[in-house]
Amino acid sequence: MDYKVEEKSAPGRNKVEVLGATFEAGKPEIGGEDGRWRQKLDTREEKLKYLQTGERYWYSKEWFGSEKRKNPA
Amino acid sequence: MAEEKETKSIDQATIEMIEKADQDGVRMVFSRAETTKACPIGVEGSCCSNCAMGPCRVPLPKGKEETPEEKKKRAGVCGATAETITARNFLRKIAAGAAAHGDHGRRVAEAFLLAANGESPEFQIKDEQKLLQLALDLGIDIGDRSNNEIATDIGETLIKEFGKQKGELLFLKRAPLKRQEIWREQGVAPRGIDREVVEAMHRTHMGVDQDYQNLLHQGARTALADGWGGSMITTELQDILFGTPSPVFSQINLGVLKPDEVNVIIHGHEPQLAEMVAVVAQDPELVAYAKSKGAKGINLAGMCCTANEILMRHGIPVAGDFLQQELAIVTGAVEAMVVDVQCIMQGLADVASCFHTKIITTDPRAKMEGATHMEFNDRNATESAKVILRAAIDNFPNRSQNVRIPDNRTGLIAGFSHETINYLLGGMFRASYRPLNDNIINGRIRGVAGVVGCSNARVTHDDIHVTMVKELIKSDVLVLQTGCAAMACGKAGLLVPEAAKYAGEGLASVCEAVGIPPVLHLGACIDNSRILIAATAMVKDGGLGDDISDLPAAGAAPEWMSEKALTIGQYFVSSGVFTIFGVNWPTLGSKEVTDFLFKDMEKLYGGKWAFEPDPIQAAKLMIEHIDMKRKALGINKARERVLYDMEMRRELESV
Repeated sequence: MDYKVEEKSAPGRNKVEVLGATFEAGKPEIGGEDGRWRQKLDTREEKLKYLQTGERYWYSKEWFGSEKRKNPA
Repeated sequence: MAEEKETKSIDQATIEMIEKADQDGVRMVFSRAETTKACPIGVEGSCCSNCAMGPCRVPLPKGKEETPEEKKKRAGVCGATAETITARNFLRKIAAGAAAHGDHGRRVAEAFLLAANGESPEFQIKDEQKLLQLALDLGIDIGDRSNNEIATDIGETLIKEFGKQKGELLFLKRAPLKRQEIWREQGVAPRGIDREVVEAMHRTHMGVDQDYQNLLHQGARTALADGWGGSMITTELQDILFGTPSPVFSQINLGVLKPDEVNVIIHGHEPQLAEMVAVVAQDPELVAYAKSKGAKGINLAGMCCTANEILMRHGIPVAGDFLQQELAIVTGAVEAMVVDVQCIMQGLADVASCFHTKIITTDPRAKMEGATHMEFNDRNATESAKVILRAAIDNFPNRSQNVRIPDNRTGLIAGFSHETINYLLGGMFRASYRPLNDNIINGRIRGVAGVVGCSNARVTHDDIHVTMVKELIKSDVLVLQTGCAAMACGKAGLLVPEAAKYAGEGLASVCEAVGIPPVLHLGACIDNSRILIAATAMVKDGGLGDDISDLPAAGAAPEWMSEKALTIGQYFVSSGVFTIFGVNWPTLGSKEVTDFLFKDMEKLYGGKWAFEPDPIQAAKLMIEHIDMKRKALGINKARERVLYDMEMRRELESV
């Protein structure tokens, strides 16, 4: 990656060099793959594990919320 | 004259095409709305045509209070009161909407089973995770079984939900526990999808159910059979077959049509055909064929809810919403408009006759005079899609010089399924609604609103949606959208993160931190079931009550027109959501029926209906309701933030 170095004023000191932003500039492509996240899960085990954590309200016993309070009301 | 045009729409592309239609002498929805006035008796639900002794008209007297004697006389030939007639009409509309979504779901379930059994090789299981999720929901063995084996069991289990005669729909178990109890207490837990629709039709037949409250409870049950049944089954099976939506960038409005390419518009609701056309449109052989006819390529664009489906999953641009279907043809640049079911205006054929556009019907349930019928076959999907595209390409040389494509297209991000919202808020390690709930509790986000539904030629196109949504986000209300409502806001530039500039400070700060727009596109009208699941996740995560009715949330369909919208509204109300409709209200012919829907339902179901055509006033009512819920939860006042040191924490833990 090409790092950009910028000069900034710092209080009580002369100008200092800092690394500039490294995010990708510009707009996403039409129909691009940027937002595709489900493909990150590869195996069936990973997918089932994700369901138990991410969708825990329906597929896990280990969670706390309105229907399973840590301190019952 | 110009002022009159501007009142028809706030969208510049629409205004420009209305002008072109006038110049070309084309009659379409906006002109028909001017000459065909709405029936004043039908609009308030006061006409019964359910038997040949009628039709009987029992309108509410205008401009004066009705005496008890006058009210008694206001009855049909059979003696049916205005209450019975209005409630029957309302229930029939709900049944029609549930039938539409349910029949869509049945077709998807059939296609799903074909794919699972390997009888439709073009369709495959695209989202294994959703497949496993449904297997867990339905208690289907996973083990080492293949995806197709699991899918066959899922398909067979869910297709039985349509014809089930007793028990409860399986997806009701996804709802908050308290909500399930409310449905059981009210006796409205749906048994089977088709059964509730059939019973609604029976009970509204001449001489059957004559108790308006009893009819309206069946309205709740029929609508729930849609929201937690037909629609939810459809969404889930479509996700497995075509992929669960995740954020995708695209463009919307008539300006996505291209002057030098074969423009094909896919319009309707069921995604099987559209999915296949999206794939086939990239076939080098077909692209070469298009070039051989003088075009530079094939440009596919969506219309109405099919557009939402292929937008979310492929990023295919949206040509427009329900009211823009005829306008797309008026551009003179559309070679074919391929339609399946629902929201297809019959006026299309008439408009197309003024241009070279071919209207191609593809579903045996929805044929149209003046159109070419080319049936789509799930078992031979690729070939069906190719035949349709070839017909469009063959039509390119017939395009005349009378082409004008408006230079209007706006960027938008779509694809915020429940799963994606959950992931975006918590990440892969601990996907969660916690950040949303926390920000509602701390007041940065005031509440959540679902603004959904159609567009309607009786009001200024897009104006009501955009005005309402801007008012809501300005007041720190996060907005979830589906259907044509989402398209209106997409055209207005509200479906991108930059729209945070229209949001209140609190909502904007959360949107910036998470990287989401203040208005989230969740899909087609069938995908309102995603909002039910999102609301359930908010409840289950905790801190915002025990039921959907406790949430600081509200719903609206301010430009509604279809019966499906009423069904959606009724299933949201019956699930505990305050829901407000604009345009007109179909029970105003009976004060009792309207009072039941607007007041009494809240005591029974936790949700209620309201009617307010003014978008600002409607938004204010929604915000008022959200604030009332915040007060009930005790989160209406900012609390002093105390930073606990270890000693204070130890004291707290010892209590």
